[in-house]
Amino acid sequence: MSVGELILFGIIKFIAIVFGWVMLVATVLTLMERKQSAFMQNRVGPNRAFVFGKKFPLSAFIGHLLSDALKVLVKEDFEPPRANKWLHLLGPGIAVIPAWLLWVVIPFGPGPMPGAEGDHPFLIANLNVGVLFMFAVMSLSVYGATLGAWASNSAYSLLGGLRTAAQMISYEVTLGLNLVGVFMIFGSTRLNDIIWGQGQSAWGIFLQPVGFVLFLVASIAETKRAPFDLPEAESELAAGYFTEYSSMRFAVYSLGEFIGIVAVAAVAVCCFLGGWQIPWVETPVDASGVPIYGWLTVAQIAIFLFKMVIFIWLQMQIRWTLPRFRYDQLMKLGWLYLLPLSLLNLVVTAIIMYAVR
Amino acid sequence: MPTLKIDGREITVEPGTTILQAAQQLGIEIPTFCYHPGLTIAANCRMCLVDTNKAPKPLPACHAQVMDGMEVTTQGEKVEKTQKAVLEFILLNHPVDCPICDQAGECVLQDHYFKYSAEPSRLFHRKQHKPKAKVLGPDIILDAERCILCTRCVRFCDEVAKSSQLTVVNRGEKSEITTFPGLELDNPYAANTVDICPVGALTSRDFRFRTRVWMLSSEESVCPECERGCKIRVDSFENTVRRYKPMHNPKVNDWWMCDAGRGSFRQYLDGRMEGPTVVRDGRRVATQVGRALEDAAEALQSAGGMGQVAVVVTPWLTNEDAYLVGRLLKGPLAGARVIMGGRAPGAGDDVLIRPDKNPNKRGVSAILAALGVAVKPLAEMDLAGVRSVVVMGDQNAFSDAQLEALGRVERRVVMGAFMGPLWQAATTFLPTRLHWEKDGTFTNFEGVVQRIRRAVAPAGTCKSEGYYAMKLLQAFGEGGLAFDGPRQIFAALAAEVPDFRGLSYENLGDFGQKLGEPPAPPTPETPPASMEASA
Amino acid sequence: MATIHVKRPELTFAEKLYIPEVVKGLAVTTRQLVKNVFTRKDITTRQYPEEKRPYPDRFRGRHRLMWDDDKNVRCVACMLCSTACPANCIHIVAGDRGDDKVEKYPVSFEIDLLVCIYCGFCEEACPCDAIRMDSGKHPLPSFSRDKQRIRKVQLLEEGDFSIARRGGRGT
Repeated sequence: MSVGELILFGIIKFIAIVFGWVMLVATVLTLMERKQSAFMQNRVGPNRAFVFGKKFPLSAFIGHLLSDALKVLVKEDFEPPRANKWLHLLGPGIAVIPAWLLWVVIPFGPGPMPGAEGDHPFLIANLNVGVLFMFAVMSLSVYGATLGAWASNSAYSLLGGLRTAAQMISYEVTLGLNLVGVFMIFGSTRLNDIIWGQGQSAWGIFLQPVGFVLFLVASIAETKRAPFDLPEAESELAAGYFTEYSSMRFAVYSLGEFIGIVAVAAVAVCCFLGGWQIPWVETPVDASGVPIYGWLTVAQIAIFLFKMVIFIWLQMQIRWTLPRFRYDQLMKLGWLYLLPLSLLNLVVTAIIMYAVR
Repeated sequence: MPTLKIDGREITVEPGTTILQAAQQLGIEIPTFCYHPGLTIAANCRMCLVDTNKAPKPLPACHAQVMDGMEVTTQGEKVEKTQKAVLEFILLNHPVDCPICDQAGECVLQDHYFKYSAEPSRLFHRKQHKPKAKVLGPDIILDAERCILCTRCVRFCDEVAKSSQLTVVNRGEKSEITTFPGLELDNPYAANTVDICPVGALTSRDFRFRTRVWMLSSEESVCPECERGCKIRVDSFENTVRRYKPMHNPKVNDWWMCDAGRGSFRQYLDGRMEGPTVVRDGRRVATQVGRALEDAAEALQSAGGMGQVAVVVTPWLTNEDAYLVGRLLKGPLAGARVIMGGRAPGAGDDVLIRPDKNPNKRGVSAILAALGVAVKPLAEMDLAGVRSVVVMGDQNAFSDAQLEALGRVERRVVMGAFMGPLWQAATTFLPTRLHWEKDGTFTNFEGVVQRIRRAVAPAGTCKSEGYYAMKLLQAFGEGGLAFDGPRQIFAALAAEVPDFRGLSYENLGDFGQKLGEPPAPPTPETPPASMEASA
Repeated sequence: MATIHVKRPELTFAEKLYIPEVVKGLAVTTRQLVKNVFTRKDITTRQYPEEKRPYPDRFRGRHRLMWDDDKNVRCVACMLCSTACPANCIHIVAGDRGDDKVEKYPVSFEIDLLVCIYCGFCEEACPCDAIRMDSGKHPLPSFSRDKQRIRKVQLLEEGDFSIARRGGRGT
């Protein structure tokens, strides 16, 4: 294939994956979260908007999705006076595009074995820097929040933006260092290689238990959700960095957040929960190391999604269970506990690997 | 000079003084129903019974004269028992329909009952029934059941109105007030019987069921319907004037006012103009006060010399407004023809009603004369060669010919409050305030200067004529005339006009000051008297 | 001094680790989630317009005007209710009924429900048992303010005969 074709296929894949189901999942999540929190708190949750008033299974669910979508589309698009117009417009965009780009390196189905030649059908770009690219992109999303906050010309927004910047930079370190242990064990930053490795030895969660817990904590902080939702702490900052946003811009911000949740879940599944691997099931490969695609592949994609849903559910369950940290506690936790622990985890991993070899 | 003790306090009074008057001098309150300081003494209600050492039984304080060495007790068990008995007797056949009684809230019987008795009724048989809602005259309705037969109304008709129309008929519990056969209670002061009725027996048909009295807000003012200038209370509710009530002023009207004046407020309730209008390109358009004033100033300047300007001033101006208008006429408009407008004279009598139906002719004339402004009467109005005219007030008795002549003048500035023929004629219309919308003073025909007070908020953007005169003075470049309220204007007026020398709002007091008499020392302004004052 | 030192509970090592406590909390919420998804036993939400809750007996609802013996308005327009009203929401125009017994009646009787605070002072003040707030209905939303100004006719529609005698004792 020529370079042009590669780019074209890449774009088609990107659109198919991101808009075909990532956006869909994120949208559904907005409602799922409301429903889940309602049941956790002995409530019913949204159950009023039916599709054309007809009561059939999931009618209220779909009705609320549609009406929410319609609502954000037709609501007044407010721009604060004396706001920086261009940055205010750019903010949500800068926030959501990195969240999309994360999906470039996430394989949600089986690809060629490590070292084998061949195309990966369930991955947009099989980069050898894989996860590192992801971190690079993820760091960008802090700009979206901070720029939008600053451009809003509002004290609440500005404080929210500052908190976002400080918090995301702090927890990114822990997030990255905990994946380093996984890289060390599987000797690659390519997510595809890591998943194959987990199939051959054991899942990352068993090899790196401390790393998984630290990653979980840091990932929640990275997605700015309770108990780490200080950037948008509604009791203190109205709505934090997106206080001055409304209508579709507001929706884009919250969609970006939910896509981030899905992406973090995908990374966690890839690195710690065996990706598309089904326990005790071997993936059949041909002589060149390319898997033989069949019904098993479908099951593997399904299991990948299932694992993601479990992880997202866990994130939401934590978000609706735990109260918010104080800001000094947040910083203390990040720098004094999580970072040293993850460094220690690395050292111990290195020592054990040396000893085992 | 007998010296007596009332409740242990000693006082020396003129011989012939009643115990009640002596007690009033000491500030001791003795409850009364039938006693009224402006009427003869009947002593038939027995509410004022007091205990003395000169008689075995209690004496009516309103009637019994003081004696030297008398010791009077107005409190204590004996008097209280008497008062309770009297109230129980009065209330025996009283229907106690206070919720539908117009008097409730300013009812002497209510007040006295709560203050001196508050005993529950012991009556168990039917009350005596008498005529209810009986029409006595054009403005009076009688509820004979509520009547306590104090005969204040009968005495008023005999003594003050000098037309005996009321009397008491029948005996005992069947007694009731009624008119003489073939007569109506229609004398020109009849409505005063409603004021002096201590209960709700006599009620005004005009005010009947309109407003509960406790909802009214009151301001003391002056009736503008004739040059007598009776002191009144303007009662308003929801920013609408609901009634006039006469107030006590021994210098002017004692306790009374005429029915014509009392009912006059109705004619000012409708048809108000609330904003200025000007004529532009042949069409009348609403505008702002500033624009209309510019228009008026331009009209006066464009006349080409003050000889071609005529100004109709009205005796409805307050003294303050008249002073500012006088300054305008003396200053920039010097040389203009000045005409005194006002209502045409009507009938008068020798009680209160005066033939001249304007409130302040004496004041306006005195002030304009003192400022050196020559004023012609309305009958001599000559508009030949006049190119701009200013007409103040709605109450000017122009003849048809005069109105027509006005309409021929090129620029017609009208300051008025109502939508009438003058508004039709105006090229520039400046809305003015009514007498109950402004503060100021009126001078009556005897020269008594009395305060009028703002009782309701002015309609729309209306201002007083004085305000417009002041703004016109400023438009003509006469600075230094920025007054902050009528009090300051009156001070300037008192300094400049000899008749008013020495007067100020502080020493006008409750009853006003007569021009030419040495002013009383300043007294702090008293709040309006309570509701009972007129009853 | 003036400061109060609050005794903080001493945390054990396990509690200081947070993780076990967090897991305990997650267990509680998860239990509720599962329970409510499958049985809906603990759900306390009331589906309002469909499921209505009975009002207490002394609930002060929308006003009503009682009838006299001829089904006419019992009110005598004494305006004690509008005097007692702290929100100034009762507007009465009184008129002459033309009979000797009652004389006064309300020509118009309007209550602005948007202004009313439902304090019940009006029924306390009423000497005739004419106005009551026991209709058990609360004001419904409407598209215009004018609809919230209820008039004499509407107030009387809810009305009933009163067991109290008009004018009280002894007449």
